[in-house]
Amino acid sequence: MSVEQEVQQIIIQTLNVLPEELKIDERLYDSLGVDSTEMVELVIVLEKKFGITIEDKQITKFSSPREIIMLMEQKRGTA
Amino acid sequence: MKDIVITGMGVAAPPGIGTEDFWHNIRDGRSFVGPISRFDSSLYPSRIAGQINGLESYSERLSPRLLKKIDRFSHMALVTSELALKDASIDLHNFNLNRTGIFMGNTLGGWLFAETELRDLHVEGREGVSPYMASAWFPAAPQGQISILYGIKGYSKTVIADRAGSLMAIAYGAQILARGKLDLVLAGGTEAPVTPYALLCCNTYDLLSRKNDAPETAYAPFDKNRDGLVVAEGAGIVTLERLDDARKRNAPLYAKICGFYTNCDGHDRVVFEPEGLALAWAIEEALKEAEFDKDSIDYICADGAANASGDISETRAIKKVFGKRAKEIPVSAPKSMFGNLLGAQGSVDVITTVLSMMFNNICPTINHRNPDPECDLDYVPNKAQQKDIKRALVISRGRGGINAVMALERLRNGHKPTTLTGGNHYVS
Repeated sequence: MSVEQEVQQIIIQTLNVLPEELKIDERLYDSLGVDSTEMVELVIVLEKKFGITIEDKQITKFSSPREIIMLMEQKRGTA
Repeated sequence: MKDIVITGMGVAAPPGIGTEDFWHNIRDGRSFVGPISRFDSSLYPSRIAGQINGLESYSERLSPRLLKKIDRFSHMALVTSELALKDASIDLHNFNLNRTGIFMGNTLGGWLFAETELRDLHVEGREGVSPYMASAWFPAAPQGQISILYGIKGYSKTVIADRAGSLMAIAYGAQILARGKLDLVLAGGTEAPVTPYALLCCNTYDLLSRKNDAPETAYAPFDKNRDGLVVAEGAGIVTLERLDDARKRNAPLYAKICGFYTNCDGHDRVVFEPEGLALAWAIEEALKEAEFDKDSIDYICADGAANASGDISETRAIKKVFGKRAKEIPVSAPKSMFGNLLGAQGSVDVITTVLSMMFNNICPTINHRNPDPECDLDYVPNKAQQKDIKRALVISRGRGGINAVMALERLRNGHKPTTLTGGNHYVS
């Protein structure tokens, strides 16, 4: 599974949303109404899944799935 | 308190979800207490409870995304608020949400959620704890969740007063309505005590019956062989409006909240003041506010703590207020059928009492086989009693000697109830 697929699956499962609700280039806040607590959960899951550390504000509710995918690819590459 | 009426009722309790199922199952005196099935409680002195099944099927509006963030006590509050609004034929689009309020009673908070996370904290460390913990466990969480679901923004409050909390919540909601600060109130209580830690707290307080081998006979208020109450989970919420407003929108008019009083025994942490003096005073004050003649009370829904201190002092208080007539007034504890919902019990007692008024049927105190000689009132033992009830009192009491009494009056002008759905048969 590619990083892109993996991140999308994590977002869908963690936030309990339908695959068609996920908009790859839209901010999570705009497309899914994600709040800050949900973002904390999402960051914890991403950190565990990819074995990385995400610094404060690297991912926020104003990030898009594509931005998160890019960050994961970058972090995995440098891990 | 003038002209505040109950226009909708929502209940989720062991006998049923929604007033129709609930009433169908309690009117004949069946027990809904059983062994705890949610977790291994085999080492607990008391391991029986009233539990709710099938809550999920009443949760159409509640997404899995929301349910994973909230505790069971908020879930039950959301379901019963929806049921109450539906019962009242209320479309919130027609109400000013800045003038709509929420008043909720709760005692324990959301321990089902909190315990899981505390276990994770100790096993996995800080990062194992769900970020939703912060907003899921605390007693005012249901108030917040209801407000978020509907966008309600008006004056609101959560009341923590042990088993008296939800009766107080309804009274405070009614008082704020009467002062004109709000136009609509959702009021009641919710409690989820069937969790390992919450049940342990109730056990260590020595509050609970230990008749684990015969759960259905365990909760026996006013009986010589009682040994404590049985806890139950559930929620009860009513909608309150001013009578004029309710009439204008042709709302169901179930009952009027006419009087309320609350005070403290000022006596002891564990037992009630033995003569019931403060409770008697609270009853007198509630009657005074309601402008009810003592002789006009047709029914009393009792606290029924099922311990000597609670039962005897409650009986003495009623006798002190009503004198010789005390023995003629039916005094029952329908909660003996399904358990005590603690912070939600007062609101469920209000709903039970209103249903009794509607159907001229007083639900019994079950398991009343060997009357305590000190408890010599008509407790409606074991079998329902047919009676026309126009005026009633509801009594709720809490640990540390909290007393609360509400005076209710039926509102249905002779209409004969035929069904519970919608409630439009009771419009005055």
